[in-house]
Amino acid sequence: MTKENVQGAAEEEQQAQSKKALKKQQKEAEKAAKKAEKQAKLAAEQQEADEDDFAKDRYGICPMVQSQQKLDRALVRVQDLTPEKAEQQIWVRARIHTSRAKGKQCFLVLRHQQFTVQALLAVGDRASKQMVKFAANLTKESIIDVEAVVKKVEQKIESCSQQDVELHVERIFVISQSEARLPLQLEDAVRPEGEGDEVRDGGEGRATVNQDTRLDNRVIDLRTTTSQAIFRLQSGVCQLFRDTLINKGFVEIQTPKIISAASEGGANVFTVSYFKTSAYLAQSPQLYKQMCICADFDKVFCVGPVFRAEDSNTHRHLTEFVGLDIEMAFNYHYHEVIDSITDTMVQIFKGLRDRFQTEIQTVNKQYPSEPFKFLEPTLRLEYKEAVAMLKAAGVEMGDEEDLSTPNEKLLGRLVKEKYDTDFYVLDKYPLAVRPFYTMPDPSNPKYSNSYDMFMRGEEILSGAQRVHDAQLLTERAMHHGIDLEKIKAYIDSFRYGAPPHAGGGIGLERVTMLYLGLHNVRQTSMFPRDPKRLTP
Amino acid sequence: MDRFRKGGGDDGNGEVDPALQALEDRQDEVLRRLQELKATVDGLAKTVTTPDADLDASTLSSAPAQPAFRGTAHLDSLLGKDLGALRDVVINANPAHPPLSLLVLHGLLCQRYQVLSSVHVHSSVSAVPPPLLSCLGPRHRDSYARQRFQLGFTLIWKDVAKLQMKFNTQSMCPIEGEANVARFLFRLLGAAPQDPVAATQMDGWIDMAVFQLAEGGSKERAAVLRSLNSALGRSPWLVGQELSLADIVCACCVLRAGPAASAPANVQHWLKSCQNLGHFDCVYPLLQ
Repeated sequence: MTKENVQGAAEEEQQAQSKKALKKQQKEAEKAAKKAEKQAKLAAEQQEADEDDFAKDRYGICPMVQSQQKLDRALVRVQDLTPEKAEQQIWVRARIHTSRAKGKQCFLVLRHQQFTVQALLAVGDRASKQMVKFAANLTKESIIDVEAVVKKVEQKIESCSQQDVELHVERIFVISQSEARLPLQLEDAVRPEGEGDEVRDGGEGRATVNQDTRLDNRVIDLRTTTSQAIFRLQSGVCQLFRDTLINKGFVEIQTPKIISAASEGGANVFTVSYFKTSAYLAQSPQLYKQMCICADFDKVFCVGPVFRAEDSNTHRHLTEFVGLDIEMAFNYHYHEVIDSITDTMVQIFKGLRDRFQTEIQTVNKQYPSEPFKFLEPTLRLEYKEAVAMLKAAGVEMGDEEDLSTPNEKLLGRLVKEKYDTDFYVLDKYPLAVRPFYTMPDPSNPKYSNSYDMFMRGEEILSGAQRVHDAQLLTERAMHHGIDLEKIKAYIDSFRYGAPPHAGGGIGLERVTMLYLGLHNVRQTSMFPRDPKRLTP
Repeated sequence: MDRFRKGGGDDGNGEVDPALQALEDRQDEVLRRLQELKATVDGLAKTVTTPDADLDASTLSSAPAQPAFRGTAHLDSLLGKDLGALRDVVINANPAHPPLSLLVLHGLLCQRYQVLSSVHVHSSVSAVPPPLLSCLGPRHRDSYARQRFQLGFTLIWKDVAKLQMKFNTQSMCPIEGEANVARFLFRLLGAAPQDPVAATQMDGWIDMAVFQLAEGGSKERAAVLRSLNSALGRSPWLVGQELSLADIVCACCVLRAGPAASAPANVQHWLKSCQNLGHFDCVYPLLQ
């Protein structure tokens, strides 16, 4: 009985199971049939649609540009799309910054360099359903050619740089297609600092991109509006530096970067193998600048790479950076040189303020900072005064002690408070804290004719009057315990008549960083080199 | 060679005869002394036509050589302990309203102390007329050595709504308003009246000048000019027997308000005597 029962139960179960399976199968078959039907229908629709897509030649992927043809077509730059161009039919080449499809419409944001414009595709007599779909499916960062009519908009488009117009697209062709997955999203990379975190606290997680990811994918990061603005401004710094100095009668020189002896102490210098011997990478063009002065070039400057093998991973140190170096013979007082350098800096600041306002504002959107303030002529304080200011603020330090980085920053704040300037010169440093070629102060041998310049409380230039007398130079070198044999060539260049001279060197990246109020020098170095980074 | 020179001397065309040279020198000397004498007489004539007639005429020929205010105060006692750094007075002024009275006080400070004066343009202003850049006079010969000076006077042309002075930023808040800064600078001269009545009168005149003359309507201006006129009918200066800050501030405000010719007689007279003292020389080029 129990057996039968069990058997019966099993049978029943089997039966039930098979029933279930049957049902399942049936359902699946039905599903498949439906799917097939749907697909067939879709395919048919597609075919049908393809057949009657009237806009077929208005969109598509261009064959690779191998310079097959030379089209007589003017491409308008995105930044020139202004209300004056309204109702004109134009061609634009740009990247797809974002695309958003909404039913029969597709909104694109087109980007060229740091400028963006909204483009609109709507199903109508100019564009077919398929064309809109094609536009909506384009991958971000693809480069496209677009023919469109410029239209004024009633309400400003806040998300774009061209706020008063939009483009009504008539043709759209892909010139270069981007891969679908980007290593970082551009919107994330331009999000202002802090904003991402705040939103995350509110529950709506928004990603920010950290510095290393940015630098690993520098090519994409450089496309952001912020990076575009930073490096355009940096180019401006270089140009203004050159223009100003050439107007002052300076000569641009090129100096070797592979040198036989370290110019400033041996510790922080890169050694390279040089055939059967070894050589060093130049820490500064110091020696060559001075030799040019001894060779009657009077006023020289030099723009080029400078190498420092300091193993310090700080926000303001790089192992290779661009140095802007000045050396100048003067008549009677080295302040002639300070005046010349500070005036050059002021001309750079003024030029940036007047010519690069767009770039400054673009950077400020992501990294807000106060506008850079300066005085003309530049404020010059003496080291003793700075020490007195620091002491009055409660800092304990000796009169001839070097300024520590925190004290430099504090001093910057004190100076800003009193004089409201972000740029000033600190003159007459104690002799003990400067290199051996620094000229001692004639009225107080404990001090020297040397100076530093500061931007937002950080040192950007270190300079001095150099000793141009071979005998005194030898004395100073011996006092510093330097092997005279190693710097013989340098000392010898002053034996045959050398004019009094002074100079200094600025780091291009630091100037850009501090002018814009950024926090890391890697942001203003296009492909930064530091102890931990050698690529890209 | 010797012979040639001798011959030339005899001819009178070549080398100058020493006797002739001496004669010329004597003539130059006489002319110079005559000119000096003329200047002194001119100065004397000026003082006779103005109420301040007891002024020593000999000092007038070469601007005011004697310090105008000879107080006994010392900077250490006025401003506290010396920390070994330049005491720098920073003044932020709008180039649209040059602080005339402070320029006068600057001149007086320069007579009393070793003052390092400098003019800067802040990046908030784009262009400043040249007279404003040179309003503190030519650069001091020793200006390359800041430590040699007792006092710094740093004028910064800046886009500020109200004139501002910053001195010791650690212990003093910025001082606003030209009149208040003027009071501070005047005390540095050690010449502020010790008598409380006089001191209050002085403050009263300054307030009247700044709030009613400089900022007031035409009716208020006329009223102030009337009271200035009657006060100046009674005594040569506004407070006491000597020039004071009240005269400096009021005169600057009157000068800025319009042409001196339209002022009442006593006021005109008083302006003239202010001018004769030489302290206001720096103001006139800025009034155009």
